[in-house]
Amino acid sequence: MSSFPGGRRVLITGLGFITPIGNDRTTVSASLRAGKHGLAPVQFLGNPQVPVRVAGTVKDFSVESTSPREWSWPSRYDLPRETLRGMAPHGVYAFCAIQQALADAGLKPADVANDDQTGLFCASAGSAMLMYNNLALMHAVRGERGNPMGVVSSIAGTLNFNLAAHFKITGAVCGFVSACASASHAIGYACDEIRLGRLKRVLVVGAEELNAETLLPFAAMRALSPQSDPKLASRPFDAGRDGFVGGGGSVVLVLEEASFAAARGASVYAEFAGWGQAADGYSVAMSHPVGAGLQRAMARALADAGVGPQEIDYVNAHGTSTPVGDRAEAIALKTLFDAEGARPVISSTKGLTGHPLSLAGAMEAGFCALAMCEGFTPGNPHLVNVDDACADLLLPRESLATGPSMVLNNSSGFGGSNVCHVLKRWAT
Amino acid sequence: MSLANLPASPSQLARYPVEARDAYERFRTTGDVAALSPVILAAVRDFMPKRSLGVGMELRSDMRLMEDLGYDSLAVAETVFFFEDLFKVRIQNTELMAVRTIGELEQFVIKKLADNSKTSSA
Repeated sequence: MSSFPGGRRVLITGLGFITPIGNDRTTVSASLRAGKHGLAPVQFLGNPQVPVRVAGTVKDFSVESTSPREWSWPSRYDLPRETLRGMAPHGVYAFCAIQQALADAGLKPADVANDDQTGLFCASAGSAMLMYNNLALMHAVRGERGNPMGVVSSIAGTLNFNLAAHFKITGAVCGFVSACASASHAIGYACDEIRLGRLKRVLVVGAEELNAETLLPFAAMRALSPQSDPKLASRPFDAGRDGFVGGGGSVVLVLEEASFAAARGASVYAEFAGWGQAADGYSVAMSHPVGAGLQRAMARALADAGVGPQEIDYVNAHGTSTPVGDRAEAIALKTLFDAEGARPVISSTKGLTGHPLSLAGAMEAGFCALAMCEGFTPGNPHLVNVDDACADLLLPRESLATGPSMVLNNSSGFGGSNVCHVLKRWAT
Repeated sequence: MSLANLPASPSQLARYPVEARDAYERFRTTGDVAALSPVILAAVRDFMPKRSLGVGMELRSDMRLMEDLGYDSLAVAETVFFFEDLFKVRIQNTELMAVRTIGELEQFVIKKLADNSKTSSA
């Protein structure tokens, strides 16, 4: 039990998935159980020389154009033009995921509209593609005209702006920007808002778009795998891993205070039992060599949840498939768990999805909640030769047919931001 | 604005009705600003909130953009930018103050382009 004052507990009561491995709960669950990846061949800028050949693509959407008029999405989602006009490509994913999550939680849009107890926390890096397009026009016409929706569709708050306006959120609206830890931060602070009694419900949204403008700058950092075989491209903890694979999509979690959720008879995926964060203070982009900040973040998350390392039976690792990052996380995990003689199952679902950057923490928290609720544990299907640094970790290739009861979900971002969640099976 | 600088088949009109694209082409090749009404009406319909006009209802020149068609200030700004971008002209905020109805918008765009044509050919 968390030592947070007030005794309020936070539950995950709804999930929405627009991901490389499925655009609904059923498909996502089946992909995680079967170890079926969602990576597909890509070519950016019409140039086969670009050293990025696969990515975690989002299916059934078309958002490549800089004009929203040319975008398409599954027809079951009602996205009006007056909302679409200010959106980025990843905003369309988020819009669909939020509609899905509300329905999954047994809520209608009217239930959250103008409700002072419902907040909206979003994680987004903005749209580099639209920003580039808008600024290119600005320079071309020497500042004499510009798209009036250019700001709200491209800067990092684009999700908050558009979703808050459409869904008429009046409780609180906030955005989070800490690179690959962004969505994990959003979930953590949403949890705190509920535990502090400021909000009863928070819709947490993570989203990322997949295009040349978002992804290729990472190739310039030599952070992306050049492989064309998906199974070789994203293989966290494998000795042959050579970089991450980009991904896109959106995942939405509905977090609710426990008594509030119970009063409306909500179904529960899992309890969000606590979280912790700590920074490396080391490098602008690289992980600390022994994951020092991640170690502290994990310890703080466990302390916040009031559980010990031996109670964790599954870790959804950040595990992006980069040589430095996976090694640092492996060392951090061993340091934390070995000291207590604990040996949880560990997997990185990025082997299946690629790494969706700002979305990662929400997507993986959603996967963890789904696994706990449905009773399975994701595996590491692309792992062939375990890296020596990871040798003592319990890294099953196949998914397990039993679900965890206590989960640790790790995320790390540029600048050394580390955020960890603890999710607990909810027993009614 | 110079007609010679206007592209044939601009991407902004790609999804517009054929009569709007034909009207643009007539304007581009002949300078006939009076031919532009179908373009202006198509743009009004395109930027209008979709739920504000009932099925089968036709646009009338006396309809007010905000009160009758549900335009907000951003939709007005989008529409203005559309014309700026399509015709390569610059429209000042102050010029728009008197534009409230579809008919007034139509007259404003036509006059603006006619004035610009005179200026650029002078």
